[in-house]
Amino acid sequence: MSVFVDVAPPPDAATDRAAQGATAWQGWLTRIALPVLSLLVFFGVWQLAAASEIWNQTFVPYPSTVWRAFIQVSTVHDGVRGYAGYLLPEHLYMTLRRVFAGVVIGVAIGVVLGLLMGSIPWFRSILEPWLTFLRALPPLAYFFLLIIWLGIDEAPKVTLLALAALPPTAVATTAAVVAAPVGLVEAARALGASKWQVIRDVVIPSALPETFTGIRLAVGMAYSSVVAAELFNGIPGIGGLVKDASNYNNTPVVLVGIFAIGISGLVIDGLLRTVERRAVPWRGKV
Amino acid sequence: MSMKKFVAVVAAVITATGMVGCSVDRSKPDAAKQTIRIAYQTFPSGDLIVKNNKWLEQALPDYNIKWTKFDSGADVNTAFIAKQVDFGALGSSPIARGLSAPLNIDYSVAFILDVAGDNEALVARNGSGIETIADLKGKRVATPFASTAHYSLLAALALNGLSASDVQLIDLQPQAILAAWERGDIAAAYSWLPTLDQLEKSGKVLVTSRELADKGKPTLDLATVSNSFAKDNPKVVDIWRQQQARALTEIKEDPAAAAKAVAAEIGLSPDEVAGQLKKAVFLTPEQVASPEWLGTDGAPGNLAANLEAASQFLAEQKQIPEPAPLSVFQNALYTRGLPDAITG
Repeated sequence: MSVFVDVAPPPDAATDRAAQGATAWQGWLTRIALPVLSLLVFFGVWQLAAASEIWNQTFVPYPSTVWRAFIQVSTVHDGVRGYAGYLLPEHLYMTLRRVFAGVVIGVAIGVVLGLLMGSIPWFRSILEPWLTFLRALPPLAYFFLLIIWLGIDEAPKVTLLALAALPPTAVATTAAVVAAPVGLVEAARALGASKWQVIRDVVIPSALPETFTGIRLAVGMAYSSVVAAELFNGIPGIGGLVKDASNYNNTPVVLVGIFAIGISGLVIDGLLRTVERRAVPWRGKV
Repeated sequence: MSMKKFVAVVAAVITATGMVGCSVDRSKPDAAKQTIRIAYQTFPSGDLIVKNNKWLEQALPDYNIKWTKFDSGADVNTAFIAKQVDFGALGSSPIARGLSAPLNIDYSVAFILDVAGDNEALVARNGSGIETIADLKGKRVATPFASTAHYSLLAALALNGLSASDVQLIDLQPQAILAAWERGDIAAAYSWLPTLDQLEKSGKVLVTSRELADKGKPTLDLATVSNSFAKDNPKVVDIWRQQQARALTEIKEDPAAAAKAVAAEIGLSPDEVAGQLKKAVFLTPEQVASPEWLGTDGAPGNLAANLEAASQFLAEQKQIPEPAPLSVFQNALYTRGLPDAITG
């Protein structure tokens, strides 16, 4: 998932109509034609790599094989429902539900911790080593403990995803709160604002854009932990599907799962960016 | 960049490259010798005895022997596809998958390490109210998917008129089975030793792999050799089989020494391992080369039919598009020089 920050394009100084036409054309080219072109090149190279037969089909299956696997996983065929008894949308739905629950919990705690850590120095000193410790842990390392403590159903999966989403949000929020413009804070104080009012009206608005970047990072972290979270009893779930198919050296289905995770990740990131533009229109203007 | 910075960067790069070079691998391959690459797994078997006693290294002084540990048959299959190993140890279920389309791995079964006996079993938890396999209907049953235990579980259900969709199958590795069991999250599990010992303490054994083998659904741990390697190095395969046969004999004749060697490889106490070795079925070299199992040169044994059954079973489970014919499995039994090659 990308973490690119949207930068508003500078207002076009040129008033010349021809120049404007050229810019529009260029904009269209970069926004639509190039991504499409890169997709086409990717599929072309893939097809060539598979057709060259340098690698075994298990390593590089044909795009058409993966497409057939996609159709099989998404439909009821010969009385078999999708993969392992569930259709692809059902796998995806379960995964998204887990990611959503995990991210909401992780982000909520992360933002609160970030606000506290940013405003209260001694609190930050206490908590920061723990957050860094948590951030350095690969989820696989502690997932088994979650299984022992929380069982094999939804609780350990959601907890793992929340733990993955928490540190990036907390770190980004802390940094944003600390970086709140001193001039504005002091001006508000001088005008007689209370500590709480300063936080509400100055610190939080100026921290929001950064926090949103943190949230997007958090969603990315949670999403990339999905396969780990669904390692045990993960079906239905995209991560469980990928793990099960790789147990059977079933590369086409693994690729279907990877594409499903990647594409849904792109869509979610796109949605988050839209929300971000609506919610924090002052980004880059403070 | 200032000179000082430049020197620092160069020093860092040199250190990093140097550190990549230092590994903790203590085997020093001799560049002048050919390397034999062996994929092993840590289930108790003669393979570990051969490894621990360095019998292969002693019998083949003109070769480097490289042992690599794998955690599942699927990974060993991948290593064979990538042509990264010459010999491998894996279960009958992954081999049936490997020999069928679309994998069509170019390897042959050259030895039978063990037949699953009482070391793999289906156990129901006390208090779950399950007395027979038929009672499992609608209950949660855990097993590591794609393993021999998974195969045995589905076979046991089929023998009792249940299909996979009649129970809630859950994919858990043995250590997670134990956790879920203690918490009461599952009603039954098909697992293997040492987890099985702990399940039996608070559960009732419904069926063991030994009983399923008697009913015509055996699961086995086998050793394979890549066909191109066997073609170029038939002598090496002969020596390797002799060492495997020697290990089988040691398990029978000197179980204490066998348990000690296996224990050193898997990090359990020799007593625990001795108990595990007693529960699995180890054939004699004569049995391995009998018509019931590998067969003899020119007359492939009944193992091919077992593998064919496993392949049909995988096709029913939709894990492979269609089962491979019997001839594929007969051709994939490496019987060159049998029985004399291992019983002599």
